[in-house]
Amino acid sequence: MAKAEVLHALHQHPFTYDMKETWKRKLAAIARLHTYAPDSLLLREGRAADAFFLIIDGLVAIETFVPERGPLRLQTISSGEVIGWSWALPPYRWEFDARALRETEALVLDALQLRKLVDNDFALAACIFSRLLAVVARRLRAARLQLLDLYAPPAGTRRA
Amino acid sequence: MTAEVTTVPGLSLFVPRTFQVTSTRRETRDTYTLRIRPLEGSSFSFQPGQFNMLYAFGIGEVPISISGVRPRTYDLEHTVRAVGCVTRALVRLRKGAPIGVRGPFGRGWPLEEIRGRDVLFLAGGIGLAALRAPLQYMLAQRANYGQIVLLYGARSPADLLYRTELERWRQRSGLHVFITVDRVDAYWRGHVGVVTDLLPLAERSLDLKRAIVLMCGPEVMMRVAARMLEVHGVTPERIYLSLERNMKCAVGFCGHCQLGPAFICRDGPVFAFPEVQPLLEVREL
Repeated sequence: MAKAEVLHALHQHPFTYDMKETWKRKLAAIARLHTYAPDSLLLREGRAADAFFLIIDGLVAIETFVPERGPLRLQTISSGEVIGWSWALPPYRWEFDARALRETEALVLDALQLRKLVDNDFALAACIFSRLLAVVARRLRAARLQLLDLYAPPAGTRRA
Repeated sequence: MTAEVTTVPGLSLFVPRTFQVTSTRRETRDTYTLRIRPLEGSSFSFQPGQFNMLYAFGIGEVPISISGVRPRTYDLEHTVRAVGCVTRALVRLRKGAPIGVRGPFGRGWPLEEIRGRDVLFLAGGIGLAALRAPLQYMLAQRANYGQIVLLYGARSPADLLYRTELERWRQRSGLHVFITVDRVDAYWRGHVGVVTDLLPLAERSLDLKRAIVLMCGPEVMMRVAARMLEVHGVTPERIYLSLERNMKCAVGFCGHCQLGPAFICRDGPVFAFPEVQPLLEVREL
């Protein structure tokens, strides 16, 4: 029953819905559904990157902790998106925190198993990593735009 | 849209008419909404998306979008960010103070042509001011439009314009409002990131492959947004944007706001995206 729900979630999620059925079944075998309470951490900076998250419903903040300032929120990830690519890159450790801002339901894929899957199936690896690259590119573009501080008061020019 | 303001025949386009400030509302640390009405006169029509030249007597004149009409009193509203000597003088005006007005100028949003369609409003920062009047117009004629979604990006929660209205719009049936900010305080529980990251949320309420997009914000934001909209299936001819350049005369004479063959003040500020897409890619313009 639980695996049927996982498979259903993989059929619905934008990251996986159009993958081959055999791949979805392989992913379903290493995934579980989990609901995170508001304010709970999905992952924590420095710890082993042991999961890949497909957010089904909810809102998650990517944060970093700054001494004397507390957690700083950098970006939010909402339903239909994914969290985490550190599971795919040595040293397999999270670089930021991820905190549920409201009740959040996610598909959690076991990273160790996922790495084995992609090591043994290059076609699946290409499919997952090309999709992940699109996510990374989108997040990088967003981060660059945020750095530009586009909505700041204009400076350096004569203004009326 | 009509406000109870007069057009005086024969008055030169270059001579400001005297209005009176009826109230000011502080929106953020540096941004205020001025409500004004004429000292004399009857009615004044404008298209949502047009702008007025507001004159702080003895100091100078600036182009400001007409951000709406106050219900019941029909006072004209302009949202002004204090960034220079004229705008600082404007936001210091208090109830009863005189203010010079030339306008309305320019081409507004194509609200009649897009009747019956789903509409996505995409606003960045102070750009929401230019989208408020068409939003007011569509909400007043709600049955004439399909689904309406507002995506709004701001610098921080403290920089959000029209907070009370945003909450009212959120609760209003048939209008979906999604807000994101670049920087947050500890109390913010909403989205953080760029406004285009909200597009998947908009897609739950309307079909982007058919919807019309009206957008206003920093030019870089609009260029990026146009590319992201394309990824989501929005074709360029369904995108309209409002541009801001250095407008001075407001009637296409002085050339300060020239963008290639177009004068923003006269041919815009609202353009269909294909009209300006190649021009926005020319760095010298």
